[in-house]
Amino acid sequence: MIESELLTMAYPPLVVFAAALLALVLPRILGFAVGALSLASVVAVALFAPDGALLSGTFLGFADVQPFYIDEFTRMMGVALGFLGTFAVIYAYSSEASKRMTAIALTYVASALGAAFAGDWLSLVFMWEIMALTSTLLVWNYGGDAVRAGYRYALAHGIGGSLVLFAVTAHYAQVGSFVFGEGVEYTDALLAGGMADGLPMLLAIVGIGVNVAFVGFHTWLPDTYPRPHFAASVFLAAFTTKTSAYILLRAVPEGNVYLAYMGGLMAVYGVVFALLQHDMRALLSYHIQAQLGYMVAGIGIGTTIGAAGAMGHLFNNVLYKSLLFMAVGVVIYRTNENDLYKLGGLWREMPLTAIAFFIGALSITAVPGFSGFISKGMVLDAADPSYYGAPEYEALYWLLFIGAVGTFLSFIKLGFYVFFHGESDRSVKDSKVGQTAAMLSVGGACVVLGLPAVGWPVFTDILPLVDGTQFLGPGGEEQPLTPYSMGHLQDAAILIAISAVGFKLIRKPLSKMDYSDPALIVNPAGYHLGRSSMLAVTELYAAVDRAAVSFVTSCYWIGDNPVLAVDAAARRLPNWIVDVEERRPADGGRPSTIHLRASIGLTVLVLTLVLTVILWLLI
Amino acid sequence: MSSAELLPALLIAVPILMAAVPIALGLWFDRTGWSVTALTTVGLVAGTAYLANAVYAQDRVVHVLGGWDTPQGIGIELVADPFSTLIIALVTVTAAGLLAYTRVGGPRGNTFYAGYLLLVGGLIGLSLTGDVFNMFVFLEIVGLGTYAMISSGDGPESAVAALKYLILGTVGASLYLIGVGFLFMATGALNMEVLGEAIPQVAAEGGSDLTLLRAGFAFIFVGFAIKVAQWPLHTWQPDAYQHAPDGVTPLIAALVSTVSAYALGRVMFDVFGVEFIATTPYAQEIVVTVGAVSVIAGSTLAVIQRDVKRMFAYSSVSQFGLVVAAYGALTETALVGAIIHLIGHGVMKAGLFVAAGVIAVSYGVRTVDEYAGLADNRPFVAGSTALLLIALIGIPPSAGFIGKWYIAVGAVEAELWSIAAVVFLSTMLTLAYSARLLEKMYFTPAAPVESPHGTGVATDGGGGGSGILIDSGRFTRGSPEDVSLGMLALLVAIAISAVLLGFAGGALFEWLEPFTSEVFN
Repeated sequence: MIESELLTMAYPPLVVFAAALLALVLPRILGFAVGALSLASVVAVALFAPDGALLSGTFLGFADVQPFYIDEFTRMMGVALGFLGTFAVIYAYSSEASKRMTAIALTYVASALGAAFAGDWLSLVFMWEIMALTSTLLVWNYGGDAVRAGYRYALAHGIGGSLVLFAVTAHYAQVGSFVFGEGVEYTDALLAGGMADGLPMLLAIVGIGVNVAFVGFHTWLPDTYPRPHFAASVFLAAFTTKTSAYILLRAVPEGNVYLAYMGGLMAVYGVVFALLQHDMRALLSYHIQAQLGYMVAGIGIGTTIGAAGAMGHLFNNVLYKSLLFMAVGVVIYRTNENDLYKLGGLWREMPLTAIAFFIGALSITAVPGFSGFISKGMVLDAADPSYYGAPEYEALYWLLFIGAVGTFLSFIKLGFYVFFHGESDRSVKDSKVGQTAAMLSVGGACVVLGLPAVGWPVFTDILPLVDGTQFLGPGGEEQPLTPYSMGHLQDAAILIAISAVGFKLIRKPLSKMDYSDPALIVNPAGYHLGRSSMLAVTELYAAVDRAAVSFVTSCYWIGDNPVLAVDAAARRLPNWIVDVEERRPADGGRPSTIHLRASIGLTVLVLTLVLTVILWLLI
Repeated sequence: MSSAELLPALLIAVPILMAAVPIALGLWFDRTGWSVTALTTVGLVAGTAYLANAVYAQDRVVHVLGGWDTPQGIGIELVADPFSTLIIALVTVTAAGLLAYTRVGGPRGNTFYAGYLLLVGGLIGLSLTGDVFNMFVFLEIVGLGTYAMISSGDGPESAVAALKYLILGTVGASLYLIGVGFLFMATGALNMEVLGEAIPQVAAEGGSDLTLLRAGFAFIFVGFAIKVAQWPLHTWQPDAYQHAPDGVTPLIAALVSTVSAYALGRVMFDVFGVEFIATTPYAQEIVVTVGAVSVIAGSTLAVIQRDVKRMFAYSSVSQFGLVVAAYGALTETALVGAIIHLIGHGVMKAGLFVAAGVIAVSYGVRTVDEYAGLADNRPFVAGSTALLLIALIGIPPSAGFIGKWYIAVGAVEAELWSIAAVVFLSTMLTLAYSARLLEKMYFTPAAPVESPHGTGVATDGGGGGSGILIDSGRFTRGSPEDVSLGMLALLVAIAISAVLLGFAGGALFEWLEPFTSEVFN
């Protein structure tokens, strides 16, 4: 048990944060190695640490704080974030990321891990705010365009974070405890958690909704993620949104039908706008929203398979979305080009990158044989009334199906224009060794975890709520997972067929459609709103500042000239209250007596009043 | 009747009788007042020491007067217990010590010393009296002595200030007398001990007699609120302190309000009793509120003053507010704290006013601004003043600290957070006005550089201590030669004792034990 004791001591966020500090001071290769190792150790800790609250204590004067809490959910989060983080650092190393950027990225990862391992709302909200801060720093670090985008990002997350903070406060006021699941009654809860009913729940959903890019709250996502260094994008794509999706499950452990449909909407909205993008990373960013839609849908459905599918999709997403960002990052690194229409035929130039990209693409589009197929299939099954879905989720199923088709289309588009589509007009090198290693490791995981017969049970075993390949069905009986059943394969085949035909049809019109980022419509509105509110705030500040300064100035003046001040005040009072003698500046050089005196009559009057009041009170 | 039992009567009678001596001798000799007073007060100190010894042995020394023995309920007697002995010790020692100032600093004259002795006799009587009617008598004697003292200043302002105190003080004493009348109606007793037993019974019976008791409490409390100078009834005090001669201010500032506050405590705890105040609705709240408001208002007014003596006067309003608020806490520890703060404040305020007087004589300045650069020019005086101010703020070890400490502990014990907050506030506000003065003395250089003392233009040294020298021009500043060794020694001694008292907390607590344990059973 000594080992597990040691594991208990190794609070992952702290380890990673220490690595971040080391990365700042150590030589580059050593610093990156420490960073990657620290994240690899997180995987080990997450896998082997015993269940339960491993750290508990008092924070900000509140007892029962459990910053390091292990159950099957946090364990999976730790494995996913740690695994991806390790390779993201390796990738960043060979992508010429600066030491400073990596240190910030590691701090950011540490805060995301902190949020993932939190066992109570207080430590969660604390880490949540730090995560918002560190991710903003990561964006800002790149400079240029990224600064303004980062600013908008910070605003969005500031608002979201405040809402979550309010939610947690209201939750505490209502139930008197921060610990997940304590004081709340959710009979169908899938895990320890749940915000108190009413206002806290509403605030939490909206606040977390900002982070998981609900339609309407999503503008920060495609706005920010394409802007910073391409290695930073890899980090950003993996951590904030996925951690937030997991927290959404914590907050809403029973599901909610509106939430499920919001997920469906996100899936469709995300892929539609992804299809319209030129910028490769913007396209991927919209896909983050679409994929989050699947998770939100699974969480919203609230059945065992829905939540397990959401968590599985989350796990996969961490892997393949980062893989895609890595591959696209390599393309950008080598070609200095963000616009996919200006690229083409790159598979001959950079076959390794192409392979990595297609592994990611096949995963995200849920082609059988890749991990995405398993998890997306679970979410679809949870919604499909012919499998485990309730009848009211029929429409949701079709929304998610459309989303799946859209995903296919947009990845065919991305892959086609970047790697095929004629000859490359430029000659570039393939990915560097570190990049390749990172991409192929992550890609390898995507493949292995989706292999028919041997691979996928390993994957489902990691998932919470699933025991091996068995899970508790909606009727209360054990159900096996059957991703490679004929029905599922048929569905996949239909999907692929529709998409292939569809792409043929829409390719021409799509390429002519020079439709710029829809965020550009939202952004001016946001810009003007932001600008006017900024001006209002600034003016308010200025007014408050003026008031404060004049108050302080007058206090100073009163302190310096008490006689004049009292005189001035006394002069405003009626004469019968206080006698104000005329100032006699020439009274023998004594400038300093205070010419303020309560007369005998006034004192007797006050005396009478005081006596009256006291008598009235006592008798 | 043992000699110790005679002492309470003697301690009162001797100074009052001796007050006539300087006037009588004045028919033949010019300057006998000081010597007579010195002799008398030293005798009083010795007598007090002897009495304290007896009280230490038997807890109470009672002297029955005029055959009014307790059975009638009138029971005119003089009682020396630990509480009153502590106060008369303060009175006699201060009265004797301050003579070191008045010998050179003035005021002079046989009539002044007659008033001085009268005042001291009244104060001792007020401390020792064991019945509520004679308390009124001694309040009036103290009042008369104080009027005489204040009006011995030579400006018209002194006369006005004395008149103001005359009227307001008399109104206050009259209110007290009305309250005593109500008590007598309700219980038929005047002796404090008898009253202390009768009042709980009357209160338990309820009815109209209870209303009389409550009305009596209201009148007595308001009457004392004037005497103790609680805001907003404090208006006589700043004028009186500011315009009284420099030699008088320490005496009245250290003793008059202090002994009145003692009398208030005596009446509250011995006559009415903790039980009555605690069970009467609003009574405790009124006491605490009056005290707390005085703390804040007094300190705030002190901060805006320019005249140093006036600033100290408002500081007294605030410090007595703290004592009254501590009475309101109704706990043993807070009561001990209040008593210790009474003593400590008396010592510190006496010292501060002596310092103000010495500075006025030797440096010719009276306002905060003019104190600039004092530390460089008059290091001893400035150092003592600084020490006393720091003690007043309540930085340990000092008399100010232990008083506030016990009050705060008592308030926390009783979970009266308002009082605890008031103690804290009072410390901060005291810091505010003390810091003003400290900053001026130590960190602001004297404005125009001038020669320390002018040549030959200074006063003739015989003009008395008050209000002198300003008219002698900007280039002479004070007349250090007018400061006697006695004045400086007194000042330094007071400053040192203010610090030494800081170590006496435990001893005082034990000394007061018989009194407090009786009050709180």
